[in-house]
Amino acid sequence: MDKYKDVSPFVIIKSDVTRRSFIYTDRALGALDKSKHQYQQRVLIGSNGDENAAVPVSLLLRDGTSIIGMPSKTAKNPYVVDQIDGKLVLTDQGEIVEEVHYWYKPDYYDKFTSSGTPMWQVASSRPQRLEIDPNSHCHFWNKGNGCKFCNINANSAQSEKECNMSKQLTAQDVYETVKEALKQPGAFTNIKMSSGSILSGAEIFDDEVDMYIEMLQAAGDNFKDKKFPSTIVASAFSEKQLARLYENTGLMTYTSDIEIPNEALFAWICKGKHKEVGYAEWKRRIIRAVDIFGAGNVSSGIVGGCEMAQPHGFTNEDDALKAVLEEAEDFASQGVSIVHCVWVPMHGSAFHNQQNPSLEYYVRLAKGLSDLRKKYRLNVDMDNYRKCGNHPDSDLDRGNLE
Amino acid sequence: MSILTESVQALLQDSKAAKVLATVDKQGIPHLVSDNTITVNDEGQIIYLELIETSRSNVNLVNSIWFKRKVAIHLSKGEESFQIKGYPVYSVISGPVFEHYYKLALERNPEFDLSTVWIIEPDEITDDTYTARKNKERDEHPLITHLDRLAK
Repeated sequence: MDKYKDVSPFVIIKSDVTRRSFIYTDRALGALDKSKHQYQQRVLIGSNGDENAAVPVSLLLRDGTSIIGMPSKTAKNPYVVDQIDGKLVLTDQGEIVEEVHYWYKPDYYDKFTSSGTPMWQVASSRPQRLEIDPNSHCHFWNKGNGCKFCNINANSAQSEKECNMSKQLTAQDVYETVKEALKQPGAFTNIKMSSGSILSGAEIFDDEVDMYIEMLQAAGDNFKDKKFPSTIVASAFSEKQLARLYENTGLMTYTSDIEIPNEALFAWICKGKHKEVGYAEWKRRIIRAVDIFGAGNVSSGIVGGCEMAQPHGFTNEDDALKAVLEEAEDFASQGVSIVHCVWVPMHGSAFHNQQNPSLEYYVRLAKGLSDLRKKYRLNVDMDNYRKCGNHPDSDLDRGNLE
Repeated sequence: MSILTESVQALLQDSKAAKVLATVDKQGIPHLVSDNTITVNDEGQIIYLELIETSRSNVNLVNSIWFKRKVAIHLSKGEESFQIKGYPVYSVISGPVFEHYYKLALERNPEFDLSTVWIIEPDEITDDTYTARKNKERDEHPLITHLDRLAK
């Protein structure tokens, strides 16, 4: 931290906790109050947890920064969440690093839709965002071409088997859950939807677009105006598909993840996406979305650090960072924010045995991406600290507002 | 235990008292907001409700909590006047505390859309009346005064 005095220490802590993972002491788990805190969650990537163990779904720091992650029993050097003197704290090698809080459970969580679906299985809740993932099966995996860092299908298959959690949501369940969530004053500032890629349709992704239209319309029926603060994290749609989506729903912002901002590595790591669409076309489609949604209202996520996966990735952090930031600048100069998550070599992904880069790499990456937004005057309201909470770079932007 | 005396806490809870929050940006440029809803919680910490996410005060407070920079609050009513300096220690954006103040803000004005509940830990407090400040100066710097004041 001494080397990066101009970078928020909370963001540095977040990056390192995500990078190295964390575990809970029994005391810390004892502080979980199932009536107040979230311990069940529907997520696309990562883990929906173990039905037999009540574990907090994520952590919140004093400044409102989220740490999105699940504890890892196999992490080699994890942080430890403990309860000391009545406060929950992150500790590293026995030293207290920072106070943390568990995420609170919104009022709708324990309710059921008219079809009997638990509402927490319809919408997850981040500190200020409602997360609805209508389809948790990715077609790219059908032919073994799923992205190598991702475990979406492994996670959803396990949740379906162990928790009877459906991979697909119904529009009626979405409508009813959003309706209930909006009864809680001050709880949410955004609705985000995401899904595994759906390749079918007359044109590739047509069925995915149809699914989003149906789900966004169902959520949108709860609002006075047609447009409402919302985003989707979706496949790279054609201009025609994007126009259809924009015109027929309340959607205000759009994300399609480029994942690995390097064509050769994208072809290796995101084989299915490269084969079906290709890096250049995936990128072109994201940039063209700016014509519809406007500059700053389109972002693209990268799996920060995955460009160093072996055996084909960069072997030098300086080279990797230079390549990533150059490509990110090309996006930013055309109105697209690049945001990163911290690559966690997850169980269930092809890269589960890999090693992510150093903390310093992540600090430089976060600062570099945030600085690019400042340079190109892009605001990141669509994906800021209180909406997604999974991007150290966009966390930094709240301290940089002009 | 809070350093705020009972009388200062009472003044913080008085909606008719004048309250001003001072913050600085990264370049040290000061920024003031006058807000008589600034109050105190049961732990003796100062509560400031930020209604504008992108306001200069909010950005300055973010940088204050990140880099441990003090903010100042001026508090006055009638003959009473205090200056409190402290550190923002919590930026509350969700959960029961946030929702409590969100509803309170709505009751004050249905147009208010609360962004952040800032919790400020007081670190020093000074009596800011002229009399108190002048007495302090006379004690510590007896050479600073006009001679006519000392004449027979």
